[in-house]
Amino acid sequence: MSQEVAIVGIGYTSFRPLTPEVSYKELVYEAAVKAYEDAGLDPRSDVDSIVSVAEDFTEGTSIFDEYVPDQLGGMLKPNVTIPGDGIHGLATAYMQIASGIVDVVAVEAHSKASNVLTLPRITAYAMDPVLNRPLRANPVFIAGMEMNRYLYTSGATREHCALVVAKNKRNALLNPAAAFGAALEPDQALDSEMVAYPLSVVDISPHADGAIVVVLASAEVAQSLTDVPIWIRGIGWCNDSPSLENRAWGRAIYAEEAGRMAYRTAGIRNAMDEIDLAEIDDAYSYKELQHLEALGFCEYGRGGFLTADGVTEIEGALPVNASGGSIGGGHLLDASGLRAVVEVALQLRGEAGAHQIPGVETGLAFGWRGVPSTSGAAVILSS
Amino acid sequence: MAILNKPDKVHQAIAWHGDIPITNRYTAGVAGERFFREVKENGKFMGTRCPECDLIYVPATMFCERCFAELDEWVQVENQGQVVTYTILYWDLDDQPLAVPLVLALVQLDGSDGGLVHYLGETDPEDVYIGMEVEAVLKDPAEREGSILDIRHFRPIQV
Repeated sequence: MSQEVAIVGIGYTSFRPLTPEVSYKELVYEAAVKAYEDAGLDPRSDVDSIVSVAEDFTEGTSIFDEYVPDQLGGMLKPNVTIPGDGIHGLATAYMQIASGIVDVVAVEAHSKASNVLTLPRITAYAMDPVLNRPLRANPVFIAGMEMNRYLYTSGATREHCALVVAKNKRNALLNPAAAFGAALEPDQALDSEMVAYPLSVVDISPHADGAIVVVLASAEVAQSLTDVPIWIRGIGWCNDSPSLENRAWGRAIYAEEAGRMAYRTAGIRNAMDEIDLAEIDDAYSYKELQHLEALGFCEYGRGGFLTADGVTEIEGALPVNASGGSIGGGHLLDASGLRAVVEVALQLRGEAGAHQIPGVETGLAFGWRGVPSTSGAAVILSS
Repeated sequence: MAILNKPDKVHQAIAWHGDIPITNRYTAGVAGERFFREVKENGKFMGTRCPECDLIYVPATMFCERCFAELDEWVQVENQGQVVTYTILYWDLDDQPLAVPLVLALVQLDGSDGGLVHYLGETDPEDVYIGMEVEAVLKDPAEREGSILDIRHFRPIQV
């Protein structure tokens, strides 16, 4: 990679099911104030550019980039809003600095899901309007069909998925920012209400509100600001076929390719040997297993067995979603990937608190845009 | 934040409700037009073949997403195929329980590499399995309007 880029500031709100007392702008403002404080920067004088991630439909506002600059201290500066995952935003900010056109960029993503009163209908609007939408089915059916095919072809089981649910809910108990921590037994997860067979209600990460701001800087600026810059070593993103009729249903190929690009740019040859922890999309429980495999931590179909062996526990060889992920922390719409980035960065700084993993130096964050998308993005961070 | 002027009762938190009426027409396109016309007028499923990739796309597409070639070789595929995957859906579009759960499936049509996502009917949800042989049940010709809903559902093939 060209010019080195580091994370120098992290700010985030707690993640909560409801936030009736604050507007989305105030939620973002809180995260921004914390991030700039953390970086030791004044946004009005020290930040060169703003990248935000938002989707008009979930904001309930068209041309949403109009509504971004003020709460980030970004007026009269370069701004761009991307309808993508938070890690797509991070990639864009990374490129702005790596190319040498700016030195300091703030990346923002948020969720005010509690204000979206028709979220499944908005997701339904993401399906092909001619071929799929006329069926008038709740789009969670796509996750049910994908889980069914994945279990069929991979050898993973509903029990493996229940272990993911129990692990992430339990990890979330150690994370004060997480919304949905619980001491849930795998058996309780297995017995919960079915939503889209074989997907049950606890296999689905519940939505939460929250905002995240990450400040990136060029190497020179980063070293002047902090003793613990967290370096972006590699980044990658990929989309598979958008068509439900033609895509691969058992495998997360978008994650395989996004991971490959991230590993290539980071110079990583063996993910399991070189990466100490991973925060990877668990919008649905089976997705953690599928993404774990696709990102090269194990062979296809081994993710469930790895989980059953405790490898992905906080004390395991590869802690996965030590923060609680989306299942334990709450799904933050397109901010979910950026939350994963924050968690990895805090771990690498040694600031993860009760769920700190000792001695970690390199971590991976992976985000997926949810059904019906095949859009994923990965980033490798090192201390 | 909002620490300095926090509303002290949740019902005091002011919010405005609004909606965005969105109405569109979605052009089926050159390939979609012919695909749906064949279903409507002849009760047949047509795909387009990519000779380079040796793939038959169903629903028909005007170009190959793998090699980017324009496709103009039309082939008829079967009205039956296999369940690639399925689900039993218990929630409606508002996350409320459906009175009758829906069975949805991806059916790969015989003679093609693609397929259709649709309802499975005339079967007990418990009896559905991956690999099950199913066939399309079309609406009566007079009722068809050139949409995916010209297919009523797929049903198991009675052996």
